[in-house]
Amino acid sequence: MALYDNKYWLLSHIRSSFISTDDTGAIRCLIIQKMYAANVSGMCELVMSGESRDVQTHLKSAEPFPDPDSSEDDEDDFLSYDLQMDADFNIRERSNTAAQIEKFELARKRASKTKSVKWESKQECRADINELFVRKDLSQMKKPEKLTSKLSALIQSHANVPKNPFVEFAKFDGTGQVNIPTKKYKIYLTMLPAQQRNYPMPVCCVSSAKVKELIGLILLKYSYNYGVANMKDVNHYGLYITEEDGEVDSDFPCLDYKEPISKYGFACLGLVEHKEGMKSVSFPEETHSLVTIEEINRNRTTSERSKADETKQMENDIQAVENHNKLMEAPLYRSFRAFMVSKVKPKIEVNIGVSGERIEIDPVPQKGTKLLPFKAKSISHPMENIAHCELTEDRSNKSCFRIVYSANSTGSPSTNTDGLVSSSSIIIQSPSTMCFKNYDFESSQTVALDLVQKMKLILELKSSQTREEYLATKEKKLQKKKSFQIVK
Amino acid sequence: MTIDNLESDNIILATGGYDHTIKLWQTHTGICTRTLQHAESQVNALEITPDRQHLAAASYQHIYMYDLASNNHNAIVNYEGTSKNVTCVGFQEDGKWMYSGGEDSRARIWDLRSRNNQCPKIFEVQSPINCVALHPNQVELFVGDQNGIIYRWDLRTDNNEQLIPENDAVILDVEISPDSKLMASVNNKGRCYIWSLVTGMVDTPTKMVPKQKFEAHTRHTLKCKFSADSSLLATTSADTTTRIWRVDENFGLLREIKQPESQRWVWDAAFSADGQYLFTGESLSITPSSSGFARLWNLESGAMEREYAGHQKAITALAFRDTS
Repeated sequence: MALYDNKYWLLSHIRSSFISTDDTGAIRCLIIQKMYAANVSGMCELVMSGESRDVQTHLKSAEPFPDPDSSEDDEDDFLSYDLQMDADFNIRERSNTAAQIEKFELARKRASKTKSVKWESKQECRADINELFVRKDLSQMKKPEKLTSKLSALIQSHANVPKNPFVEFAKFDGTGQVNIPTKKYKIYLTMLPAQQRNYPMPVCCVSSAKVKELIGLILLKYSYNYGVANMKDVNHYGLYITEEDGEVDSDFPCLDYKEPISKYGFACLGLVEHKEGMKSVSFPEETHSLVTIEEINRNRTTSERSKADETKQMENDIQAVENHNKLMEAPLYRSFRAFMVSKVKPKIEVNIGVSGERIEIDPVPQKGTKLLPFKAKSISHPMENIAHCELTEDRSNKSCFRIVYSANSTGSPSTNTDGLVSSSSIIIQSPSTMCFKNYDFESSQTVALDLVQKMKLILELKSSQTREEYLATKEKKLQKKKSFQIVK
Repeated sequence: MTIDNLESDNIILATGGYDHTIKLWQTHTGICTRTLQHAESQVNALEITPDRQHLAAASYQHIYMYDLASNNHNAIVNYEGTSKNVTCVGFQEDGKWMYSGGEDSRARIWDLRSRNNQCPKIFEVQSPINCVALHPNQVELFVGDQNGIIYRWDLRTDNNEQLIPENDAVILDVEISPDSKLMASVNNKGRCYIWSLVTGMVDTPTKMVPKQKFEAHTRHTLKCKFSADSSLLATTSADTTTRIWRVDENFGLLREIKQPESQRWVWDAAFSADGQYLFTGESLSITPSSSGFARLWNLESGAMEREYAGHQKAITALAFRDTS
């Protein structure tokens, strides 16, 4: 048996005993909270009998206990090491308080918009009774004729609406929930056609949901907007980390189905349809929802054909819109990278800038330029001088294209071409003294196709004299050729 | 009638329960169109005002009024001053006043003509009130309480009359048929009692003549509802079923709506205007945290037509207003 006369130690011992013998944890919360309060605000509400004054003054000081260093006694180390006053506890406590205050604040704000009517037991006003409580004469009431219902009409007109297989996920929708934590996401739906894919779908989900349930909720919202056709089971989709601009980051695997969404901090995700239902192996119990989708598809077989036609029509429309867009964009400036080739000079890498007004060919500065025997200079032609543009060679790894321009109309190319003029061979000498020359380029197939298409569109739009003349001379030449053949 | 003008009409379906939200639904698609916030407590009862502009939600110590016409998801009026749960709420047919009943054993009349409840009226009974029904004559309220007593409260004279259909039973719901000929009441033992009502002349009280008693369910019968033409009575129960009774055939059973879920409770129901369809508000068990659905049933075939999912917890109240 030992005797102690250090009241701080005793106080600490009593507290520790309380804490360690209370399984509910309530005392621990209470005492630590009190100590915390005393520590922070200097207010002490802990009521102790006997020597409490001393203890209280002590608690009012900044430190809850005397500095252990000032005492030689080891047992002055009052707090039991078994009882961790984890920092986490205090932080959580504070944030809870903050959250509580915020909640009150919100409630107050809401309340200010809400008109409040308080019950008051007033003296009854007899005068109003005859006005308020008027007996309705029911004897005059006719039996209503056949009652009709708009609901019935509505339900009957939408009789064969299939059950949405994702409806079970509706309860994870966090929209409008006030008392439970929710998370907001921007979801990019990669299975949509390109035109509709640009904007993310906002989805608000309760934080307790699992990734799989979030996918279900997304699919439910998707089905509201785009219908359930062509949709597969939840297990066929994966959520991927996605950039703000909608680019799915495929370097990372999709989020784990079984994990709660609160584990992941990403606000922007992309929903991707997997080629194979690869995850279904781990979720064999989900087969029943597959059945429902099959049922839906069966329901839809009658309209399948028309559906297919519809999609085809839609694709055509989309194509038309795309072409239109290209036409609209044709006069806008765009630059291409290609190699200029000629028979006499080495290949030079150039930038070809194409706009509705002019075409500019700038050599890309190379390391070894100075060593070359000539200096490459940039060229610029007004669009009016360009006669033609065509693909001369179309291969997947390398394509060649040719731009034909008139060398003598309304002045020569604005900058002198002496240095560069790669291959300006006269191909056609037209009678109207129009002299056509051409440039040959080499580039990747996509660049070549894009450039040639753009040029063609611009030329069509402009329909300059140069072009007309070029086409005319070409036509003539062709006829000549034909006549030759006939002669033979 | 084209589909388009059908869809733009004014059908209102509202559901509420333990998840502190009230949801409004597009009835034929099952899509939730709006979520109203009801942060402070669960929803005990919902009622739409006669002009279809507002929705009243009875909850703990308050009745909240929501604006259905605007996009405001918070309550616009808060009726306070009751000390316990408000269990039921309803309106006079012109919207002049609102009645409520609560666990504080009081039925109240709230004067809606002006914003400050000028002429309140109160009726006190011995035990918590579970249900209040307004007679179509608009001057008599029928109040059912925990002690198993049904009170007829005359609003003009303040006189009251008591009925005790069964000893040691709790009245869970009282309903007057729209043609004012019948009154139905259900209790916690699953029994349903029917009275014939004899309408009195000017200021003579309605007489209640016992007509019939039958075992509607094996457990608590939670709600009873007449169809608009008073030909059908629906009773919902904790025994997983809803039953539809034919009024003109001595309450013979027309149909039983049952789901395989073993713990299902059917808390509330509402007929379509022509009595062909029935909405039910359900929970999968008695615990408030169990999930809740509203469902639409075709009474002719007994088939479930729609499911309205989205509530996190049990649905205990629904309000429906059809258009004809």
